[in-house]
Amino acid sequence: MAELARNTELQLDTKPKSPWIEAWVIFRRNRLAVVGLGIVIFFVLLAIFAPFIAPYGINEQDLSKRLLPPSADNWFGTDDFGRDILSRVIHGARISLWVGFFSVLGSVIIGALLGLIAGYYGGLIDTIISRFFDILLAFPSILLAIAIVSILGPSLQNALIAIAVINIPNFGRLIRSRVLSVKQEEYILAANAIGMSDGRIIFHHVLPNSITPIIVQGTLAIATAIIEAAALGFLGLGAQAPTPEWGKMLADAKGYLVQAPGTLFFPGLAIMLTVLGFNLLGDGLRDALDPKMKQQ
Amino acid sequence: MKKKLLLAMVSIMIASLFLAACSSGDEETKGSGEGDNKKDSLVYGRGGDSTSLDPITTTEGESYKVTINIFETLLTYGEQDTTLHPGLAEEWEASEDGLTYTLKLREDVKFHDGTDFNAEAVVFNFERWMNGNDEQFPYYSMFGGYKGDEGHVIKEVKAEDEYTVVFTLNRPQAPFLKNLAMSCFGIASPTALKEQGDDNFSKNPVGTGPFKFVEWKANDSIVLEKNEDYYVDGQPKLNQLIFKVIPDNSTRLNSLSTGEIDLMDGVNPTDLEKIKSDSNLQTIERPSMNVGYLGFNVTKKPYDNAKVRQALSHAVDKQAIIDSFYSGLAVPAKNPMPDSIEGYNDEISDYEYDLDKAKKLLAEAGYPDGFKSELWAIPVARPYIPEGNKIAQVIQESWGKIGVDVEIKTVDWATYLDQAAAGDYPAYMLGWTGDNGDPDNFLYTLLDKDSIGSNNYSHYANDKLHDVLIEAQTEVDQEKRNELYKQAQEIIHEDAPWIPLVHSTPLLAASADVSGFVPHPTGSDYFKNVEFK
Repeated sequence: MAELARNTELQLDTKPKSPWIEAWVIFRRNRLAVVGLGIVIFFVLLAIFAPFIAPYGINEQDLSKRLLPPSADNWFGTDDFGRDILSRVIHGARISLWVGFFSVLGSVIIGALLGLIAGYYGGLIDTIISRFFDILLAFPSILLAIAIVSILGPSLQNALIAIAVINIPNFGRLIRSRVLSVKQEEYILAANAIGMSDGRIIFHHVLPNSITPIIVQGTLAIATAIIEAAALGFLGLGAQAPTPEWGKMLADAKGYLVQAPGTLFFPGLAIMLTVLGFNLLGDGLRDALDPKMKQQ
Repeated sequence: MKKKLLLAMVSIMIASLFLAACSSGDEETKGSGEGDNKKDSLVYGRGGDSTSLDPITTTEGESYKVTINIFETLLTYGEQDTTLHPGLAEEWEASEDGLTYTLKLREDVKFHDGTDFNAEAVVFNFERWMNGNDEQFPYYSMFGGYKGDEGHVIKEVKAEDEYTVVFTLNRPQAPFLKNLAMSCFGIASPTALKEQGDDNFSKNPVGTGPFKFVEWKANDSIVLEKNEDYYVDGQPKLNQLIFKVIPDNSTRLNSLSTGEIDLMDGVNPTDLEKIKSDSNLQTIERPSMNVGYLGFNVTKKPYDNAKVRQALSHAVDKQAIIDSFYSGLAVPAKNPMPDSIEGYNDEISDYEYDLDKAKKLLAEAGYPDGFKSELWAIPVARPYIPEGNKIAQVIQESWGKIGVDVEIKTVDWATYLDQAAAGDYPAYMLGWTGDNGDPDNFLYTLLDKDSIGSNNYSHYANDKLHDVLIEAQTEVDQEKRNELYKQAQEIIHEDAPWIPLVHSTPLLAASADVSGFVPHPTGSDYFKNVEFK
């Protein structure tokens, strides 16, 4: 019997596994990464079902109940307008995840496109695009974001755009370096030799083989984007009142640090947890998707 | 191994969060008070810089705060009110018909540059102002125009002898003497004016006051020093007086508790408890003579409809706003001027907070489902509205309940004032601190059709109101004037171009060893008697 079992196992092993399943197996072994995934899923669910979960509306003011400490009615206490902080933190998840996800999506699409073109064609195009990335990288990122928002005017959408723009060069350079090495592979040379069109080569062969670092980098970038959105909100350049954006909530609460620390603590905790979640998830993905790790 | 390290770091991070929250408390006990011997240099922290140090060229309080200590006026106000007291003039007398005023001047006064102060100097100053224009001096808003203008109040200013000045008027003006005591009519040295010219003089002022001008670093500090030859013995007590700009209220309070500054205005009312618990600090309340309001542009739809304005007036819970953001240091306003001013109409009953009534009025006006609009929040902390954005949010929420959906907007202070004056904002928040304690200085200055483009940000023009206000200006009998102003307040109440929000008591804070500081309701304070204990 034992002999037989080993045989089947061996048989299974010989069957080629999808690289994604293989990655999942590695990922699952990394406990911290699973915790990160759990946190991210938790906040995603919170964001999706915010209106059903939140006990109060985001702008339900009750000035007679200002700055209350946590209680049975208001688990996280109330802010300076007597609004329920728990409800606002839950709704804030929507905004932070939305900004984080879509700003990264925006910079991935634009950055990847520019990176692909630069890496694949090389020459003058490469020089122009790479110098453009250098220029963007020459500014401290948050300063550039502040400048962009100041030009466009403070709002959540503009903060999203600003964050997307400042992250473009990171993805662009990452893709470009991948493309440079993928370009040398035999299958690309072969595709070239049989006269395949550039577009097809780029999108059907180069891109899929360069995408894994983007997934890893993208997950980590969501964490950074959430922090940047919170920073802009804190400076009054992101979401405008009464939007329950976590950074803005921190800014509004900073005057009540002593009187009502809860107003500051819970939005801060929410930012910290989501960022931690995305970072752990990103690290886990890196380990799982890294071809060097796969061999082990 | 790596994972354990990560776990350890995460727990350290969480722990540090708690610790950071705890450690902030004991910071405040330190700082300040490490005074060496007796201090004789005082630093006054404030939110904004002066625009000019020639007081007649401006109407803005941050300038007067400084110039009142460099220049003196012919008459002065009481210590904490706007009753008339001798200034550079020792005695004054009005003729029966109210057309001639004779002022007797002090004989022992010299300007900082050594020039003698006498009747000629006074005449020189008035000639300069009367021959100006509205771009140079806002003189017209007090005296109705310039030399040769039809509405000009002053016919002639004459030096009868070396220390006697006679004012002859074209028409009687009830607040004439009160106007003379306004900070903007500080008497400047004729010699310095002639030598320097107008532009230079506004950066190098020379007056007769207890302090002399030393240095002005734009947006940073203005330094004054003691006038050794001041004509009152023992005054001023300080050797140096420095006005320092620190825009943010909380930062300024921090500078006060670390001893970087000694006195500050613009304390957030919510910080009151914090200051009271610090034995190194004291709080000082400025007597109230202001109004904070929400104005409508009455030329813009839908605010051109008085019913809409009344409806929205019913939808603002003033008391709740005061309890939350003024720490109770304010009273709800129902008129455009505070009750400390003569002619206040106490019979008016305010639009009480009643959302049903508001909804009904809105429906009558043709907006049963409400409408969308903008509300512009005051961007800086002013004594009458310390936290504009938050108050705007409270109003936004309660208007939301009657279907009026407003977006809160704001922009930097200078642009805000310009655009508001141009009438760009459908609804906005602003306020006013009285200059001379006369109802004219509130009602005419803020709501008459003559003031559109300057202080009438609502672009509110009512001919009936205009007639009443002009009549009150020329009426000399105080009883009759008061009646006219009461009438004016009724008209304004009915039309509701504003929602008067509050009359606040502005809060100042000082280190505990500052004594002799008496804040004035106009916001311009004397430092003659201030010293360190």
